[in-house]
Amino acid sequence: MENFSDSKNQKVSQNGKLHDEHRTLNIISINNKMEIKNFTITKRDGSKDLFSLDKIMNAIVKAFESVDYPADLGTISKILSHLDIHDDITVEDIQNQVEEALMREGFYKVAKSFMLYRQAHTEDRETLAKLQFLSEYCESVNAATGSKYDANANVEHKNIATLIGELPKSGFIRLNRRMLTDRIKKMYGKDLADEYIDKLTHHFIYKNDETSLANYCASITMYPWLIGGTVAIGGNSTAPTNLKSFAGGFVNMVFMVSSMLSGACATPEFLMYMNYFIGKEYGLDYWKRPNDQADLSLKKRTIDKVITDYFEQIVYTLNQPTGARNYQAVFWNVAYYDRYYFESIFGEFYFPDGSKPDWDGLSWLQKRFMKWFNKERTKTLLTFPVETMALLTDENGDPKDKEWGDFTAEMYSEGHSFFTYMSNNADSLSSCCRLRNEITDNGFSYTLGAGGVSTGSKSVLTINLNRCIQYAVNHKMDYLEYLGTVIDLCHKVQMAYNENLKELQEHGMLPLFDAGYINIGRQYLTIGINGLVEAAEFMGLKITPNDEYLHFVQGILGLIEKYNRQYRTKDVMFNCEMIPAENVGVKHAKWDREDGYFVPRDCYNSYFYVVEDDSLTIIDKFKLHGAPYIEHLTGGSALHMNLEEHLSKEQYLHLLKVAAKEGCNYFTFNIPNTVCNDCGHIDKRYLKECPHCHSKNVDYMTRIIGYLKRVSNFSQARQEEAGRRYYAHAGYQTAKI
Amino acid sequence: MLKYVNTGIVFQEIPDEVTLAINISNCPCHCPGCHSHYLWEDIGLPLNTEAIDNFVEEYGTDITCISFMGGDSDPKGVNMLAQYIHEEHPQFRVAWYSGKTVISSSINKKDFDYIKIGPFIRHLGPLKNPTTNQRLYRISDAGDMQDITSRFWRISQ
Repeated sequence: MENFSDSKNQKVSQNGKLHDEHRTLNIISINNKMEIKNFTITKRDGSKDLFSLDKIMNAIVKAFESVDYPADLGTISKILSHLDIHDDITVEDIQNQVEEALMREGFYKVAKSFMLYRQAHTEDRETLAKLQFLSEYCESVNAATGSKYDANANVEHKNIATLIGELPKSGFIRLNRRMLTDRIKKMYGKDLADEYIDKLTHHFIYKNDETSLANYCASITMYPWLIGGTVAIGGNSTAPTNLKSFAGGFVNMVFMVSSMLSGACATPEFLMYMNYFIGKEYGLDYWKRPNDQADLSLKKRTIDKVITDYFEQIVYTLNQPTGARNYQAVFWNVAYYDRYYFESIFGEFYFPDGSKPDWDGLSWLQKRFMKWFNKERTKTLLTFPVETMALLTDENGDPKDKEWGDFTAEMYSEGHSFFTYMSNNADSLSSCCRLRNEITDNGFSYTLGAGGVSTGSKSVLTINLNRCIQYAVNHKMDYLEYLGTVIDLCHKVQMAYNENLKELQEHGMLPLFDAGYINIGRQYLTIGINGLVEAAEFMGLKITPNDEYLHFVQGILGLIEKYNRQYRTKDVMFNCEMIPAENVGVKHAKWDREDGYFVPRDCYNSYFYVVEDDSLTIIDKFKLHGAPYIEHLTGGSALHMNLEEHLSKEQYLHLLKVAAKEGCNYFTFNIPNTVCNDCGHIDKRYLKECPHCHSKNVDYMTRIIGYLKRVSNFSQARQEEAGRRYYAHAGYQTAKI
Repeated sequence: MLKYVNTGIVFQEIPDEVTLAINISNCPCHCPGCHSHYLWEDIGLPLNTEAIDNFVEEYGTDITCISFMGGDSDPKGVNMLAQYIHEEHPQFRVAWYSGKTVISSSINKKDFDYIKIGPFIRHLGPLKNPTTNQRLYRISDAGDMQDITSRFWRISQ
């Protein structure tokens, strides 16, 4: 308390004269209330109101009464005489002055009561704000638009369950920031913690998934589950022993794993394990006789029917909204392999019974699943699993496994939408819709299974390149030098995050790591980027395949990679991803525009090209996502080739070659599917009219970022962006119809 | 002399090919309902062997086919370039979209892999409509012509 009054006295002596004048004015004013009415005050919501002395007096009197202390007019006047009221003073400021005045006059108990009264009102106001949010959410057009913090189109309907998920989000953001800044202070000092918050609140950087406590996304090995069931991660099911317990247990296991991740869960071994259990049930050569009768029921189901029934059970269950994830479906991902990719990853793999995975059966099962899933999507809008085809290429850039290269092109031509990852060695797996993660270990262990499949990202921290670069240029700084300081900050923050995660693990809070589903050392800390194209446009560059733009891209991504290497230790790895920015792209554009930066569009791109640019050819886009551009983008960025019409198998096959030649290793073709709002018909083509009932009331299913969703589930801003996307016309004939 | 206004990568014009379409100006056909009115005038850059070499340089094996869209004012010029591509860049197939009702007698069909003929007649519709008057032929090495117009009528999925 002594310190408090000391500093106060200092302030008074510094501004003594000014204070005295005001005080005189106020004392006079108190004696003549008419004069006071000329003051205006600023209320909490920013609006102005006439100053009312009565309100202050009442509050003070109430504070006295609450501690049973007599308050005469003389005492009150004395307290009021300390107040320094000026035009446009804020309510908070007046209340602070009242607190100080009460203490200065020695009424400590009264002051405490006054403070408690203020705190109660603050809490009330927070509840009121929540109530207001609640009613706005109820009124909003859909869940993604209503979401204040982390809009997400993976929520199809808004209801009480999604609302329950929304309400605590602001609390999580505060908690996460506090945990992180506390750790940064310990590791790097208070200045860096302040710098982090400053960069965050001024939107130079963005912390992804701040509304969740869990680490981000993971590609898991299911080997621990195969050996021990879900007990180690808090479940009660034992290891699967047959096809039925595999299918049921798998679903439960994915739900459990996903509830401990904030992002996606990839199960690259799903079909391989399923093939193993089918083989156990019907013999390894089951795929040679899928039409054999498999059960004695009156339905006389065939082996094929049994298998597709399990597909149905698993896929439909995993597409259900999930309680533990704010009523979102789990972000489930699977992988397909050609023979060579498969051998690279699972060549050393042994099942617990000592047998090796059977490629021939798996090859058949992969194809069966893709065909089934593609057909099922004409009946129901199924978002998950997000699928990635992993293909190895030969020295000519052709798929090494011709059968699987052909099949990939065949599936695209049949209108199936999936990602393809092509590489000349089995170096990566994707853990979510777009993030790919390099595999550091293709070895096999008898307790953890195939090392390669266990990868992912612990946390993503994104740099708003457009703002950073403009800020540097506007302040006459070398933009790469300035970016260097931001990148360095990001790495330190991520290191701090990693320490927090390790602490959670030490306390047994992260059973996925302990049980071996994922390995903390093999998970990346990810530096995200957003606004790259917009920054290049600010610099006056043309967004086409040209040397200046390439140089710009390489300069920035190369710098990030330099820091990624610098901060790498034997326990910590970094990668860089061009983030999908489902809602960050919109937010960054809005914030930057408000602060006067050059913002060429309402949603920042998630690609190396401008999505609405219709002058770029398909070949240009492959080039812009080709090797020279993505070289340093170690976390990947999938090219979404938006087309208006499906191509033929031969054309897709050639485009696979083009992709390989340009070094574009991760891509998908995206042709919006049409959904009739009246009769429910789903068509693989992009149509203006329902071919079934001829209604023009149609909606589209397309990739918002990584996953397929109905456009009407997108947030309002994202719907507008989707409307501007350019879907390349496949030809003139069609373009004019 | 042939001139072209712009180019594009197209998929629908020639089935199964990834095609570089070269839009040639000074089109004499003037079809009612033409959707490329801008190609009626004699505008654009010279389309000669040098321009072809530049396209090949730019697109390399990213494309499988080069198609001349128009050029009916100078069929011999189109033929000369088609022949040039087959001789100098044999990895590409060559196509010609002509607006005439019959194939010009002044060209050698063997220098082309695909030829489309027929003006655009609005009520009959484009190639995609089964009622269309337009025809697309695949030309074999021996010079035989196969009508593959029905490839455009593929029943949708």
